Amino acid sequence: MKRGLGLCVGLGTLLAGSVAFAQQALSSNEVTIGYSGLPYKTSGESNTGIQVSDTLLLHAGVGAEAGYDTNVYYDPTKPIGSSIFRVMPFVELTNGTRSGPVRTQFVFDARAGLQYRHYGNSAIRSEYADAWNPNAGLSLSWGGAQFAFGVADVFARIEDPPYASGGMPQTGAIQRTNNQASLEGRWSPGGGRLTGTLRYTNMVDVYDGSYAYADAVTNTLMLDASWRWLPKTAVFLNVQQGYVDYYNTSAPGHKPNAYPFVASVGLRGLLTEKTSLSLALGYNNPFYTSGGSTTGFLGSTYANLALTILPTQLSRIVIGARHDFLNVVISNFAYEDAVYASYVQQLIGRLALDLSGRYSHLNYGGAFVDPTQQGRVDNYVQLGATLDYFLRNWVYLGVGYALIDNNSNLSANDYLKQQVFARLGVTY
Amino acid sequence: MVKTNLLLASMFIGSTVFAQAPAPSSPSAPAPENATSGAVDLSVKQRPTLTPAEMVNQSKEYLQGMAQVVKRIQNLQDEAKRQKDIIRLNCVTDKLVQARVNENIAEQSMSALQENVAKNDVGGQTHEFTRLTIVNQKVTVVGAEAENCIGEDLSFVGATRVDVEVDQNIPQYDPTQPGSPFIDITRPPEASPVQ
Repeated sequence: MKRGLGLCVGLGTLLAGSVAFAQQALSSNEVTIGYSGLPYKTSGESNTGIQVSDTLLLHAGVGAEAGYDTNVYYDPTKPIGSSIFRVMPFVELTNGTRSGPVRTQFVFDARAGLQYRHYGNSAIRSEYADAWNPNAGLSLSWGGAQFAFGVADVFARIEDPPYASGGMPQTGAIQRTNNQASLEGRWSPGGGRLTGTLRYTNMVDVYDGSYAYADAVTNTLMLDASWRWLPKTAVFLNVQQGYVDYYNTSAPGHKPNAYPFVASVGLRGLLTEKTSLSLALGYNNPFYTSGGSTTGFLGSTYANLALTILPTQLSRIVIGARHDFLNVVISNFAYEDAVYASYVQQLIGRLALDLSGRYSHLNYGGAFVDPTQQGRVDNYVQLGATLDYFLRNWVYLGVGYALIDNNSNLSANDYLKQQVFARLGVTY
Repeated sequence: MVKTNLLLASMFIGSTVFAQAPAPSSPSAPAPENATSGAVDLSVKQRPTLTPAEMVNQSKEYLQGMAQVVKRIQNLQDEAKRQKDIIRLNCVTDKLVQARVNENIAEQSMSALQENVAKNDVGGQTHEFTRLTIVNQKVTVVGAEAENCIGEDLSFVGATRVDVEVDQNIPQYDPTQPGSPFIDITRPPEASPVQ
């Protein structure tokens, strides 16, 4: 599940760092919780795109949305609202065809997009009113049924107004730049019942301003072994070892390095032709070099459940729950207990409805950057709803709603933010 | 085969019954007057009307006909071999075996018939001639069946093709693979109310 929300709305699947093995690049069971950004591609991805050559397909589009934001600064006491306007152009080049994907052993996908955001209220300081958020992605994959290799890189930058109290923002705009590269190999000997996947991921996370102490480089090695006891159902063992290097040692509040480890076993795949399950249970530990790590049985337990139901061919329901730890910027870590649900429905071939929500209970622990935040617990709710009408399969207009509500045991961290949008665009 | 047995049995019984001399008509039971005018003649010939020489000649014609049938079936067999039509070849070969068996029986009956003619054994002549007649009919039937053997040209429907129909609800992607990594660009939580 993508955990992106709030700031990353509108970027959509551009940010998927998928090492796009052919069949996985076509469709995925990933689900977005919260407000779904402007449609990046036409549903079904059929009969759109400019056929540059026999095997090159160019997609391009632009979407715009205008609406209202009730709390630009995430202010707990004196929210300032503003009109909001966003535009997102994008281009994508892939070796597909308009009638479908190319059946070759080599698949590539290059994408680039930009999100421009503007707040119209003059009460919003000029340095926060406008933001340019670029994003890009590239994925290459080779191979067939037995061997497959892939590389991928995803880049994104976000900029958003800072938190404020009493209507007075205290810092500069929050800016975060992230680049994630991954290298993956997959081996399925014989009939493909056994599959081994080895993946290396490198992520560079750079903040500007007051969060600079959290700049980090994260390297993760993942080994996944699965045994497919049914054609679309497998049991698996997944082991991940990471190394998080908070390299900006001179910044105040420098965080300790970590060696997060996760080992889990579980089940992935179809239960019935309309029901699929992803169930994982295991052990995890961030292994911080100082300041304390997760403790206890529950603190070292990793659990993830996602149940997907397809009531009809035009609808999908996802229900999930998760118990994990998060590597956070305000302290070493946070215990996370979350539940989420998503409902997607297409109607009469033209309407696309997307409803989703998530509740997260975040219990922060370890060493805190600000000691006054010690013992902080957040209850975080996000909701999203969109309804789009496709005039053609490449022209749409719609409406959207987003809600983000944080209820903390430290009331200074409370906020409620709502956004409504009207939107239109083309995705050819 | 059943029909053949029935035919043999009925002919045997018929020849046995009608071989008896007709009973003299009873004077106390005169035939009705209209018996000659409206009655149907249901009687069966009790004895062949052929002379021994005619029976031998007729039997030779039967043997020649059977030989032609066997030859024709052999040609059909060769043709099936050339066409490498295994289905038709099996069928024709089966008919050829049946025809040859009956041809052998006919030849044995022919020898016996000639012996009975030499011995002037009327009953034996009739029996062997009847056997030859039946065997000739069987060979004729087998020959017709051989002509009707159906080969691959009619029964072959093309190379085996397997059509797999997948429920449209089943996803095309492989749900057994680990999920793709996703870039994290979430807005960080408020580090401090004063920051």
